[in-house]
Amino acid sequence: MSTVVLTTFADAKDAYRCRDLRQSLYDEGEVVMADVLVNLHGEEHRDRRRVENRLFRRDTFELYERDLFPDVTAATVAPYVAAGHADLVPMGHELMLNLAALTAGVDRPEGSAEETKRLYAYLMRFIEGATLAHSTRDKDAQRAVIAQALRDWDAEFLAPSIARRQALGPEGAPRDVLACLLAHQDELGLEHEALRREVAFFLLAAAHTSATAFVRSIDHVLGWTDAHPADVERVAADPFFVQRCVHETVRLNPSSPTGRRRALAPVRLRSGVEIPAGATVVIDLLAVNRDPAVFGPDAAAFDPHRDAPQGVAPFGLSFAAGMHVCIGQDLAAGVVPRPDTLAEGHLFGLVTGAVQHMFRCGVRRDPHDAPERDANTARPYWGRYPVLLGGRR
Amino acid sequence: MSYRATVDKDVCLSSGRCVADAPGAFVFDATEIAEAVPGHPGLSDAALVQVARACPSGAIVVVDDEGVEIELL
Repeated sequence: MSTVVLTTFADAKDAYRCRDLRQSLYDEGEVVMADVLVNLHGEEHRDRRRVENRLFRRDTFELYERDLFPDVTAATVAPYVAAGHADLVPMGHELMLNLAALTAGVDRPEGSAEETKRLYAYLMRFIEGATLAHSTRDKDAQRAVIAQALRDWDAEFLAPSIARRQALGPEGAPRDVLACLLAHQDELGLEHEALRREVAFFLLAAAHTSATAFVRSIDHVLGWTDAHPADVERVAADPFFVQRCVHETVRLNPSSPTGRRRALAPVRLRSGVEIPAGATVVIDLLAVNRDPAVFGPDAAAFDPHRDAPQGVAPFGLSFAAGMHVCIGQDLAAGVVPRPDTLAEGHLFGLVTGAVQHMFRCGVRRDPHDAPERDANTARPYWGRYPVLLGGRR
Repeated sequence: MSYRATVDKDVCLSSGRCVADAPGAFVFDATEIAEAVPGHPGLSDAALVQVARACPSGAIVVVDDEGVEIELL
């Protein structure tokens, strides 16, 4: 079977909008990802997305960003500030897990640290499942462990969360994915295993992609302000600047370095690239988002002052485009501001809020403990990122 | 020159982005699928194109006053 690799922004955007190219990034991760939203195609995808989009709208994001997330962020980070140090990798996942649990609809009735640790352990298993294609370990053994983790998580967390929402009814239930799916169950007809995977997917997608963007953004901002001291004060004071830093980070470091599609029919892109039926299309997002024709000759450099051309998002195609554009894009990255946008009423995204909070808490690299990459995956993740907290940089 | 927009209701994913970005110019119908309000009050041609470009599903079609479709990609 042939493989077509797309490396230009124009081809990638064209491919993402083509209805004859179906998602295939998660083919190896079916243990978690089978028939979840991002893996559906055509009418099945449209119908599920229409239901879930009733939740993933601006008014819900405003509720999360203004009313729910700031307190959770402060409470999660506070013990690390008190200790004076943290490893950003697990701390970022813990923080984003706390936020993602609210979004996905996974309750923690005990409210204890031990309970959160158990949910965190499940989350890490689900992440392994979704990114199995890039694993460097024994994939069959991982699959078995992940499948069991899903069942155990269901018994401990999902089933009680379902019961609580059913008892509350649609009017009293919180605004989250699980409640949305339950309220539209007649329309969707999801079997329990599919509902389980869908909620697990939202938990892992929201937590993992935001956590990696969180660590990478802080890394980029630390590097940028070392070289540009004039911007140090802006990080703590100007959320628009932090949002620019997050967008630039996400452009250079898409959550998945590649998009992948399978051609259901022969496709000819506008540029003339021919894709035969059955071919795999690899969208090289690292190249696409560094396309000098779009982002200029210094496209590979981190520059939060960069202005993307009209019609191009500052984060490139990291959230994809077309019908599979990330449903949580505005939640994670906020809305792209216009020149006349005021801070009041603007959505900055949860990553911006979390990153700015860390800088207000004095985050800085630990001079005696250097960050290290994760050796367990071919994806460019940080394995550990020790920082000092408290006081001023 | 005055552009007009229509929403392909079969393609719309109900993201609500157009309704949030250009309230008055786009609304939800009874089934929460977006539709364009004729005349898109208060929206310039450039702003209309911007809203259409931001539609995740590419459901918004914009034409000029001669009915020629505006390139959005």
